[in-house]
Amino acid sequence: MIRALIWSVLIGIFLISSFVGAVDLHLKEILNANSLDSTIFFELRLPRVLFAFFAGSILGLSGLLFQTLFRNALMTPYTLGISSGAVLGAGIAIKLGLSTLIFGIGAISLFGFMGAIFTVFLLVYLAQFLKSSQQESLLLLGIALSLFYTSALMVIFYLGDAMQNDTLIRFTMGSLSIIGWSYPLALGLIAALVFVSIFFYRFELQLLSVSEEQAKLKGVNSSRVTLLLLIVSSLGIGTLVSISGPIGFIGLIVPHIVAKLYPTTVASRIIKTALFGGLFLVMCDTITRGIATQSELPIGIITAMIGAPFFIYLIITRSSR
Amino acid sequence: MINIENVTCRFSKRTILENISLEIQNHLCILGANGSGKSTLAKAITSLIPFVGSISIEGEKSEELSLKKRAKLLSYIPAKLEIYDTFMSVEEFVLLGRFAHKKSFFDYSKSDKTIANESIKLLKIEHLKKHAISSLSSGEQQLVLIAQALTQQSKIIIFDEPTANLDPHNSKIIAEHIKGLKEYHQVILITHDLHLASYLDVPVVFIKEKKTHYFKEGFFDDENLQKLYGVKFKEMSVSYD
Repeated sequence: MIRALIWSVLIGIFLISSFVGAVDLHLKEILNANSLDSTIFFELRLPRVLFAFFAGSILGLSGLLFQTLFRNALMTPYTLGISSGAVLGAGIAIKLGLSTLIFGIGAISLFGFMGAIFTVFLLVYLAQFLKSSQQESLLLLGIALSLFYTSALMVIFYLGDAMQNDTLIRFTMGSLSIIGWSYPLALGLIAALVFVSIFFYRFELQLLSVSEEQAKLKGVNSSRVTLLLLIVSSLGIGTLVSISGPIGFIGLIVPHIVAKLYPTTVASRIIKTALFGGLFLVMCDTITRGIATQSELPIGIITAMIGAPFFIYLIITRSSR
Repeated sequence: MINIENVTCRFSKRTILENISLEIQNHLCILGANGSGKSTLAKAITSLIPFVGSISIEGEKSEELSLKKRAKLLSYIPAKLEIYDTFMSVEEFVLLGRFAHKKSFFDYSKSDKTIANESIKLLKIEHLKKHAISSLSSGEQQLVLIAQALTQQSKIIIFDEPTANLDPHNSKIIAEHIKGLKEYHQVILITHDLHLASYLDVPVVFIKEKKTHYFKEGFFDDENLQKLYGVKFKEMSVSYD
């Protein structure tokens, strides 16, 4: 009952999302190809809704992946410093004034991805020095890296001129406002890649969700699976962050909400997490556009303000199987 | 059949096992004091920890075996199950034993599910099928782990202190199941439970001061036990029969 209600609200908001915003659109005008309404709808609103959906899917899936691989409820690309790495990478590209394309890929995206992947390899390297039972230490390493990256970004702010800093500040606040179809299409492809990789390895992940020892004993090449999936999800997070800036909370709460709604195995939660993450972020984005202010609220504020209370509610009302 | 040749295991700078050679042709009980290296030996056999030397399983060198192949040859049952995913049901957990047998990227087949169900029936835990693993008692968890190992259909099954966390009644149930497995599997039992070891009635290897001592029989004599453990024994009462 509660499941059906939540899904229908999310899907309902998804369907009306494109009609919400500073400009009221009329259906008649939208269908008229030469009108302003039509341009706003097809070139701004619709791509943005789809972009938000793919972004939410990537964030939700990455959260589920990290929590499963490291068997810790707090592991996400954000808490491990991977998205901070991406932010710093993108920040460096902005500071250097790089916006040209390198082999058809935007320099900011490329630097963002490199920041994410560098952080993953650094974490994998440092994890060797930890005992396998010390997952908390890995989390502490991630937090330390985050703090370091944030300071490095501060240095860039300090050295930057006003124009660059304005771009940077808006970037670090996170925003889903994009124009045209190239970003949603690119992100859609990457979201599909992330989803397919995780779905392919769903049975390995199910064993890894028991323990690494059990996974190895049952025949899972855990280090190979872990590394491969980490690289794929870093590609997703790196690309996403370099376009939209960091969007917190989704990766942490969405997998938990889905797990509370569907207390089943990890393998059977993958599709639901992808859909829920996408729809949830679309809802948050719809709210930022729906609230009439001088300029749009940064998306991160909404995700946290909706996410945190809901998350607390779910934790204190434990569902039983 | 497991062949261990000149195996040395070190943990940081401490040597746990030194130059051990052992041919395990059939059932075996491994005993020894705390920290003597029993579990270390088991973990070396399952390649969960690094070691120096050579171990071969069913004639194949351990380091050349793929993880799936190894899983088909031997299963390892820990004393206590650690599980992160608190929602997994008994049924789903037992089915994971089929991982090495199923086709990569494909779902578990109907016959995989049948095999898992038969193991559950054999262990008489059908009533727990839908329960979450995390809600089970230690005794029930041990039964579920055995069901999973049977589902894995490996020749060799290694038990690592199966009765360590159990009350006498549950220990007896587990002991009977382990004894029953002797017929179709090669059972390797690591334990402190002398009752269980003598009930199983198999040769014993005692690990002391990084070395192994083999006993075909006569291990459970009071004098022998006193010598090995350094504690006085008086007619060990065997209760599981």
